[in-house]
Amino acid sequence: MKQGPDTSDARGRPPRMGLPNLGFGLGLRTVHYAHVFEHHPAVDWFEVISENFMVEGGRPIENLDKALSRYPIVQHGVSLSIGSTAPLDWDYLAKLKKLTRKTKTPWVSDHLCWTGVHGQNLHDLLPLPYTEETLKHVAARARIVQDFLETRLLLENASSYLTYTDSALTEWDFLNAIADEADIGLLFDVNNVYVSSQNHGFDPNEYIDAVPVHRVVQIHLAGHTRFDKYILDTHTGEVASPVWDLYRRTIERTGPVSTMVEWDDEIPPFDVVWDEVKKARALCEEIEQRRAKAEKTGANDAASRQVVTP
Amino acid sequence: MNGDRDSRAREPVAPPSLLRSQAFLTEIFQREHPVAGDDALSVAVGNFVTGSRTMTPAEQVDVYRHQFWLRHRSSLEEDYPGLQHIIGDDAFDVFVRAYLTAYPPKTPSLRDLGADIARFAESYEGFPADARALALDMVRYELAWVDVFDGPDPTPLDAALIARIPPEAWSTARIRLNPCVARLSLEHDVHRLRYAIKAGEPSELPPRKAEGVRLALYRARNVLHFEELTPDGFALLQALDEGVPLVPACERITVGKSDEAIGVLNASIGTWFSAWARFGFITAIELAEV
Repeated sequence: MKQGPDTSDARGRPPRMGLPNLGFGLGLRTVHYAHVFEHHPAVDWFEVISENFMVEGGRPIENLDKALSRYPIVQHGVSLSIGSTAPLDWDYLAKLKKLTRKTKTPWVSDHLCWTGVHGQNLHDLLPLPYTEETLKHVAARARIVQDFLETRLLLENASSYLTYTDSALTEWDFLNAIADEADIGLLFDVNNVYVSSQNHGFDPNEYIDAVPVHRVVQIHLAGHTRFDKYILDTHTGEVASPVWDLYRRTIERTGPVSTMVEWDDEIPPFDVVWDEVKKARALCEEIEQRRAKAEKTGANDAASRQVVTP
Repeated sequence: MNGDRDSRAREPVAPPSLLRSQAFLTEIFQREHPVAGDDALSVAVGNFVTGSRTMTPAEQVDVYRHQFWLRHRSSLEEDYPGLQHIIGDDAFDVFVRAYLTAYPPKTPSLRDLGADIARFAESYEGFPADARALALDMVRYELAWVDVFDGPDPTPLDAALIARIPPEAWSTARIRLNPCVARLSLEHDVHRLRYAIKAGEPSELPPRKAEGVRLALYRARNVLHFEELTPDGFALLQALDEGVPLVPACERITVGKSDEAIGVLNASIGTWFSAWARFGFITAIELAEV
């Protein structure tokens, strides 16, 4: 497995699962190529959709090479189908692994979902029943995939629009147990927590409070779209206010974590997306400053007590 | 983490209940019509899906069902704008639904969604009769576009090596063509129509050309270009691609021609090769073993 550089943060906290905090990034999207390659904005890192670059040549590879020459690139996939009952797709995995060698991605992420069976691929992130037997099935496959890729695998909590009659666990218990059993990391999507909480009527704070902070290697933020009866994870628009609140709650638990903003539909000019990323950075800096101040105050209090204590 | 490909052997056996629910939902999510409103199916969905405070189980699966069509239509719209322009939005929607029903998505990448679209279009009866031939030409051209867009990069032709080839060796030399060049024999100027559509220019539907249209679609510096070929140029490329050595390939296209025509042709061949080498059509020249 690849190890990142010495990635202890300014306060000496060790990297999660040996992986670096890359700072603040966003998804590399074709409509922004001209801006990114011409102006080289001060983005800490970019996330790419693995499947878009698992091709043999042409413009996609040229653009990836340009991005790699300037920025750390992290791979995020949508077709692993880790929860499917169909066998793992080894051709897909071989291509994915080949791409990781090119990008030198510090980790590979995909979703805790399935995308189809019987040779069909619905290109959707379909939810799983939260049962013990599903948990064992997915964890076993996640471990195999991580071994094969020789790169840390992160699974992302997907948003969902249905729940199963045979689910016996909460989503967060299911997610956490898989991460523990497979020894993988988490890509924690705060917007997805909010979307699913609204669709299924659970308390998103309970979810946030349960996530194992030592496994959260990356965070996603995004916008969503509210319909009459449900919320859809459309990756459109600015990050909603309640999602910022949940992000704050998450960062207060985890400390600084590589964070990026996804904006995949009706994509605005680069600077509009970048402004969302800057909001995330400002929020984290504020939390860190407050934490540092509290620690300093606590240390001073302790020192004062030492003076007066015989 | 050992990267051991034998990990295949460690793949777990899927739980039966998960097999059942995924098989059922894979079929349901691809249904053309809503589940809500179909009483029998709604009951069946209720065996797997709970519903919520605001939605019935049928409404919940319909969210995914609806997204299935939206997502795949949108992807095909992106790759086949010329076809959509020719037959119109409504007919395109009907065509896409028929295609996806006949050829459900199989591969991890949406890039391959249209892999069977030309084959399907050949037997599709829903195109307007007066636009059918044009639509079929466009589908073939746009499918080729997808393949050429991100196909393998060709090995550049080694000019120094060519310079060292003795003149007598050319008679038996075989020209290896770039596999990422698509050659198309069509009846309409669909390449010009598609170009106009993408450029937002006026785009009248082109008439059928009795003499036909022969194209090479290729990528240079990762930009796609088309080259209009003469029938003889097209035939020569075809012969070379079949592995016919250079001189016999040239001779093949002169069969039945007058001396005057052959003279014109011979003068053209040098120009063609120069252009084809420049465009990257030729990736290697293999000399016969002595």
